[in-house]
Amino acid sequence: MTDEPLLSIENLSVALPKGGDRQFAVENVSLAVRRNEIVCLVGESGSGKSITAHAVLRLLPPGLDVAAGAIRFKDTDLARADEGTMRALRGGPISMIFQEPLSALNPLTRVGQQIAEAIITHAGAKLSGSEVDARVIELIAAVGLPDPPALARSYPFQLSGGQRQRIMIAIAMANEPALLLADEPTTALDVTTQKQILALVRRLQAERGMGVLFITHDFGVVADIADRVVVMRNGCVVEQGAVDEVLRAPKNDYTKALIAAVPGGRPASMRGHALGTDPLLVARGLNKVFTSRQGVFRPVRRVPAVQDVALTLRPRETVAVVGESGSGKSTLARMIMRLIEPDTGAIDFDGVDFLKLKGVQLRAMRRKVQIVFQDPFAALDPRQKVGEAIARGPMTYGTPPVDAIAEAKRLLARVGLKESAYERYPHEFSGGQRQRICIARAIALKPLVLVADEAVSALDVSVQQHILELLAELREEMSLAMLFITHDLRVASEIADRIVVMRRGEIVEQGETQSVFGAPQHAYTRELLEAIPGRSLFGRPHEPSANLRFA
Amino acid sequence: MRRALNTLASFLRHPAGVIGLVILIGVVVLAIVAPTLFPVDPWDMVAAPFQPPFDGETWLGSDMLGRDVAACIAYGARVSLLIGVSSTLAALVIGVTVGAVAGYFGGRVDEVLMRFVELFQTIPGFILAILLVATLGPSLTNVILAIGAVSWPQLARLTRAEFLRLRSREFVQAAVCQGQPPLSVVLRHILPNAVSPIIVTGSLMIASSILIESALSFMGLGDPNLMSWGFMIGASRSVMRQAWWMSVFPGIAIFLTVLAINLVGEGLNDTLNPRLSRKARGA
Repeated sequence: MTDEPLLSIENLSVALPKGGDRQFAVENVSLAVRRNEIVCLVGESGSGKSITAHAVLRLLPPGLDVAAGAIRFKDTDLARADEGTMRALRGGPISMIFQEPLSALNPLTRVGQQIAEAIITHAGAKLSGSEVDARVIELIAAVGLPDPPALARSYPFQLSGGQRQRIMIAIAMANEPALLLADEPTTALDVTTQKQILALVRRLQAERGMGVLFITHDFGVVADIADRVVVMRNGCVVEQGAVDEVLRAPKNDYTKALIAAVPGGRPASMRGHALGTDPLLVARGLNKVFTSRQGVFRPVRRVPAVQDVALTLRPRETVAVVGESGSGKSTLARMIMRLIEPDTGAIDFDGVDFLKLKGVQLRAMRRKVQIVFQDPFAALDPRQKVGEAIARGPMTYGTPPVDAIAEAKRLLARVGLKESAYERYPHEFSGGQRQRICIARAIALKPLVLVADEAVSALDVSVQQHILELLAELREEMSLAMLFITHDLRVASEIADRIVVMRRGEIVEQGETQSVFGAPQHAYTRELLEAIPGRSLFGRPHEPSANLRFA
Repeated sequence: MRRALNTLASFLRHPAGVIGLVILIGVVVLAIVAPTLFPVDPWDMVAAPFQPPFDGETWLGSDMLGRDVAACIAYGARVSLLIGVSSTLAALVIGVTVGAVAGYFGGRVDEVLMRFVELFQTIPGFILAILLVATLGPSLTNVILAIGAVSWPQLARLTRAEFLRLRSREFVQAAVCQGQPPLSVVLRHILPNAVSPIIVTGSLMIASSILIESALSFMGLGDPNLMSWGFMIGASRSVMRQAWWMSVFPGIAIFLTVLAINLVGEGLNDTLNPRLSRKARGA
């Protein structure tokens, strides 16, 4: 490492338009990235971490402008450089990768051509066509994709999420950048893919001696990849330093709170609660194949989503279904909710075959199983007062409106909101508050089973912690059995009594949380556990000895 | 209530919409006060034939039978607005019902209903309207029905698309899980969220209904007992060179009304669907 910074941001402030909730999106931020090091910029949503990175390339959204400060890259002040200089830098000496590789790639152009475009834009006519082609193949090989010549000819939709992100990285590497800006490049990916991409970024960075500014919200990722860390909150830097210092001995209270909130590090507090013995819900032989017709004369496309899945849930038990995207875990949850009809199978629930019910009987039974969805912004009707959303359920089952409204207000208070929230509309609440409303809506019907479909995945880590605590409390208070669908094994380890691991629609392993995490039997489970980010620092769930503790 | 006021306030910030609204209110007022302004039946002869406009006896001249063109336009406004609004309402009732059923239930029901909609869409609308009026007889009800019958497929497709989009939304699924019966899910959750584009399309449809009505009357297929702008232009086409005012003024009336309704519709679109609006409204 040389001491001369490659990029140095000095007292940068980016002004928000008037009338925003604060004056600056980013205020007085100073940080530096040296050659051959990875600096992680961490923070929760709204902390200004993305704005800082976008300001480096002057890709700020309209209405936002650099108000003060300087961004020095080599000898240029990027905050003041003209557009021509910026264009020469973007994709050349400084390149960027984004969170969502599907929307960052042109869907109608072959990926090889998109890489070639990046080369030609900067190298211009200096390279011949065959040289460019050779360079494209070389880049595709460098990002670890198989059969580069064939891959160069494919379109983005033919590739998986991880492959697309590799292509994005190849485009970013096309002109041997000195600085790479990575804006949450692994957030949309599965945990095993994330691990590979992180390893790839690390390798490319070491090979080329690049400086990398890596934006993430996940301290696990930080622990895996960073040399230095910058923690941001509300547009300000609260702490920065070497990764070991910041993660092992944080000085700032906010940093401490964030690190403590990383799931998987805490012992499961409610472990050892009394479980019922007789099963409450038994699903057997569930199968679902999605078919889509692509035209009259073309064969029907069949995608098996869930294959021969059996599941038991006892009273007061929490079962976590874990798996990567496409494993069928959400389909399973929706079949248990009767939102998707399974092709075959049976669900014995509270003494009846739930799948055979129709009409009025089905509606009568529905109140016993309720769901909390992943995205709290989509799960509430934007045109319905939140109190009404909660009270409507009991009213459907004949509770007098006066009682239902009183109960809804009590529940709002129970989940940590003010009773006055009753009269307000969903857009007035934050994501975490909305998720509390969704939970109140679900428990208003006094269900026996609560299905949580990735209920904390869209939330910031500190909010996630509070929602998990709330769910654990409610589970005890109301004797709820919970089916907890998640892709995050760290979250599963905190809340579940039992773990069910799914892959490609099938259950590959299930068992007590302790034993699945402690002694995984299936190779896939081991692979998932290996891929949990930040294991070096935070240890594996249920390995308390390795866990991080602050004195 | 507050929401409605907010909508109104943001509509009033839309200059073209306000202009449209002012013209439209003018036309509505004209229609309302027609009997006071012109106490005589518009079909009655009140002046010498072929009187030019702005010339003593009548404001906008008289036609070949000495009828007052201004009176005819005022009474024509009533017919145009009445037919525009009621045929759109008819189209709304049919279109929204069919679209809602198809979109909500999906599958086989959707397929059957959409084939039926396509059947209507393959027949040229205006020819179907002519055919219906010619077969059923030219009365006010039949004209309204005919225009409604050619307008509803567009609304059905729109409603279906909105319902398909909303049906899989999580707040709708949550309502289903709460045990709400289908009708309640549709009326409480899906329809209120689908209503803005339907209102916008409906408002623009009033304009096209007025045009179809004028075209029908021009061909002599309007209700023979009602004075209408289309009829006036149709009646004057043989004397266009001698008496330009007989066709120009009703033409202007049609033009202004349709323009006003379109402006209001676009204003509504920008107000109700701010994300789809072509102009970015602030940051």
